[in-house]
Amino acid sequence: MTTLALRQDGPGTVTVPGPRRRLLGLVVALVVLVVLLVLSVMIGSTSIPPSAVWDALFHSSADIDQFAIRDYRLPRAIVGLVVGVALGLSGALIQALTRNPLADPGILGVHAGASFAVTVAVGLLGVRDVQGYMWFAFAGALVVTLMVLALGSTRQGSSPVVMVLAGVCVGAVLGGAREALQLTNPDAFDAMRSWNAGSIAGRPLEVVWPILPFVAVALVLAFVVAGPLNAMALGDELAVAQGVRLARTRVLAIVALSLLAGGATAIAGPIVFVGLMVPHVARWIVGPHQGWIFAYSILLAPSLVLVSDILGRVVIRPGEIPVGVVTAFVGAPVLIALVRRRKASGL
Amino acid sequence: MTPLRRRGAALAAVLSAALVITACGSDGDDTGDATVKARSVKADNGTIEVPAEPQRVATIGNTTLPFIDLGGKPIGLTAESDSNVKLLPEDQQATYAAATILAPSADEVDMEKLASLKPDLILAQIPDAEFELIEKRLEAIAPTVFFGLDTEWKALAGGLAEAGNLTDRFSQQKAEFEGKVTKIQETYREIIDETSFVDVIRWASSDPGTFAIADIGCSEIARDDVGMDFPKAPAGADPLAWTSLPFEQISSLSKYDAITYPVDAKGQPTEPFAPVVETNTWKALPAVNSGRALGVFCPGNNSYGSVVRYLDSLASVLATLPAKK
Repeated sequence: MTTLALRQDGPGTVTVPGPRRRLLGLVVALVVLVVLLVLSVMIGSTSIPPSAVWDALFHSSADIDQFAIRDYRLPRAIVGLVVGVALGLSGALIQALTRNPLADPGILGVHAGASFAVTVAVGLLGVRDVQGYMWFAFAGALVVTLMVLALGSTRQGSSPVVMVLAGVCVGAVLGGAREALQLTNPDAFDAMRSWNAGSIAGRPLEVVWPILPFVAVALVLAFVVAGPLNAMALGDELAVAQGVRLARTRVLAIVALSLLAGGATAIAGPIVFVGLMVPHVARWIVGPHQGWIFAYSILLAPSLVLVSDILGRVVIRPGEIPVGVVTAFVGAPVLIALVRRRKASGL
Repeated sequence: MTPLRRRGAALAAVLSAALVITACGSDGDDTGDATVKARSVKADNGTIEVPAEPQRVATIGNTTLPFIDLGGKPIGLTAESDSNVKLLPEDQQATYAAATILAPSADEVDMEKLASLKPDLILAQIPDAEFELIEKRLEAIAPTVFFGLDTEWKALAGGLAEAGNLTDRFSQQKAEFEGKVTKIQETYREIIDETSFVDVIRWASSDPGTFAIADIGCSEIARDDVGMDFPKAPAGADPLAWTSLPFEQISSLSKYDAITYPVDAKGQPTEPFAPVVETNTWKALPAVNSGRALGVFCPGNNSYGSVVRYLDSLASVLATLPAKK
């Protein structure tokens, strides 16, 4: 087994596993994800015997328990998978792009844009169902991210720092406008409670299929820019010396992360913690190699979403807690524990 | 006394006289007829002196719709949701539309606008904590009769009728309600005794993919007044309706003989509830398949007029209920 010792920001060193061990870890993460997918279908707020779950999937009938499996639990597991993949990868992209371990897609105004657009749809246009306002969320996220990209581009090119500042500013303005709209329209505020908390409950598969092509395109783009982002982590000058086109890489990365985060937010609302935490964990496991970080984030993030969702279904039975609330409860202590035990991950 | 002190005393006397004159003038302008007859009514904020025949009533919070239902015509009110207003009979909608809106919600009353309407009586039912914040300002404008949120709807209707001098209409409505309840009990005695019901609900603000078992609202009247067997939360626990249940729990409704669900005046499932009846799980319920899922129209549950309309709808669906197999 080969290991590589890397110098980090602090005085210590971190050992990074070699390719075979990384691959083994990836297989383990995949197995965990598959197990959680199965558990997500098996466990819910009502007790359904495993035999009924098996029959629902492989021996379809009009039994009422089978409908519960096929119509709610299976779509919910798939929604959790897609949302998790999108959030994890978008978080990894934004942290690599900004070289900031505290960055998540929200820092570029993705959530603010989506939330503002959904508030307009619900409060002013009377849109009430998820299928209706998901497109507003998606469009809002994309438009605002492009706006931030434009604001963050100077004559010298696009700067991550300026982009982050532009994202924070645009987010603040839109946040204020959203608050004002919600305060003057209590119905909109009520209708958006669940969406604001971040939830994958009650989302039919019909909300996933239209977003899936965008997520697929973003996945390809992410791995296209993984190599250049590795070079950029060493500094812009060194990256240019290695032939990296900085502006092109940044634009592609931003397009990819806005498609991913916009898609996830459109489906589930703003779930903020996953995109922040999972890339950290991935980086601790595989070291500062963006391709591996992306791969691990793609598997670990949906696992976090699914395990949080399962917990949210059972802790206050027969009611449920939205996944966006549980991810913070589950993720924050884990992240703090990891930070205390390990050295900060390099970017 | 020095000259300076003398001048000060004279100035104070002039100012005091001016204040007295101003106060007298203000009283005369605000009350109009100083000899207006008064009555005493008991409310949650004590025994209040109110005009014997109040002419300019403002309603705040949950008093608006019951007061209008009693035939009252408020000059100012706090806004009700559009969906609630649409459920009112046309004449009551016109009364509502003629009044000045004092605020989009009961906790934001525009005191300046309220004072400008010169009400002779203010009726309020809002949370106690909210009332405490505005109590003195309301009482400075007009006699204020307040009921806490724990005041049951029948007591509220009685209190509003007493304060608003609408007791004749109240007595008619109460008698009509009691007659309807008795008739349902007599006509459907066997069904009431032998059928387990559950009332389900979904609101516009409900989370996607969720519904609730309604143990408050109209079915509370069917349970507590008519005597039908609807589920109820244990004593001291929160109402069942406060817990959002995921759609996969629709299957748990299988254990009830019959289900009631909300419909509009035309008999169609209400817009928020429509997603529930479209689910395969709902369609697979034994009660639904046997025609024992009953759409009931509930135009409101806090005034006799709306409750009577609910009882009419309930009686009509009970008449269609197939026998248990």
